Amino acid sequence: MIVASRKSLDEILGLLGSCKKVLVLGCGGCTSICLAGGQREVRDLCAELDARVRDHGGGLTLHELTIERQCNETFFADADALVKDYEAVLSTACGAGVQFVAERHPALPVLPALNTAFVGFDKGVGWYEENCRTCGDCVLGETGGICPVTRCAKSLFNGPCGGTRSEGTCEVDKTVPCAWFEIHKRLKGQGRLALITKVRPAREWENQTRRSVIQEPYKARYAKP
Amino acid sequence: MSEIQNPPVDRGQIERALARHKDRMKLYLSHCMHCTLCAESCFMYMSRDKDPQYMPSYKVINSVGVLYRKGPGIGRDDLQKMKGIVWRNCVLCTRCYCPVGVDVPAMIAFARGVLRSQGIHPDFDEQGAMESWL
Repeated sequence: MIVASRKSLDEILGLLGSCKKVLVLGCGGCTSICLAGGQREVRDLCAELDARVRDHGGGLTLHELTIERQCNETFFADADALVKDYEAVLSTACGAGVQFVAERHPALPVLPALNTAFVGFDKGVGWYEENCRTCGDCVLGETGGICPVTRCAKSLFNGPCGGTRSEGTCEVDKTVPCAWFEIHKRLKGQGRLALITKVRPAREWENQTRRSVIQEPYKARYAKP
Repeated sequence: MSEIQNPPVDRGQIERALARHKDRMKLYLSHCMHCTLCAESCFMYMSRDKDPQYMPSYKVINSVGVLYRKGPGIGRDDLQKMKGIVWRNCVLCTRCYCPVGVDVPAMIAFARGVLRSQGIHPDFDEQGAMESWL
């Protein structure tokens, strides 16, 4: 799941600038589930903004609307009908959702109320941990299901680096387990330790362009003429 | 239950929402031929021993269909019942198929929007997980 957290009220107010009439658009998808941008969080955000602005003389009209997902045009009927009445949209979707709304309404400032943090899993209600950086070159099959890109401080494809502490933590932060120490333990337990000696070519992280995925059965449908 | 916990339905708001989407929603409802072809395109239906409550047609008839049949006179109990149908029985994966082009995801999203306008929506915290509709 995509995990996000809310920006500070000061930052949000800074983004809103002189806008006086704002549509606060909630998302019923991932940011709703991670308790950052669903209908309830939109209500709380509006209450906080309203209280803060009122303390400083008022003058901000907020309208709340939560749609099922901000990354799929199927769900935009109500939002599309409303946006023309507002000076800006404050979105509580992830970065993809914010951009989707911005592309749909290019004449309007579409502002993010959240910081999109990572793809991760649930540790508890309201507690999430990063597990995937969507690098597009998954090596989990050879690393015992532990992602070195996410969990190694240096994102090493070939590790460990030599900075593993005796108790199996990382030289960068002694409270963080060394990803490659964990990978070693996991592969050893599975009887697949030989995989750790496999040399993987260095990943070229720079100069990445926008990625796109079309699943195999749909390639003909979306082929450019 | 107190009125704060269970406020009356805002009939005007429901009426406006129904009117705004009336042409499209009524067209979809009238075009459903009850052919059941949508059923097997729904992974929730297939993974729940073909329980008819998970058929896409069942879900729209018992949500959007009920909304238009009862109109603004609909009660909060009806809406609460609908909550399970449109959130628990459907994840809005948008993969359902209708041979005549009924846009099932748009219908479910519309029903969810009406429920949201009345403050009825799932919560994903501990309290939400304890709710009986799940």
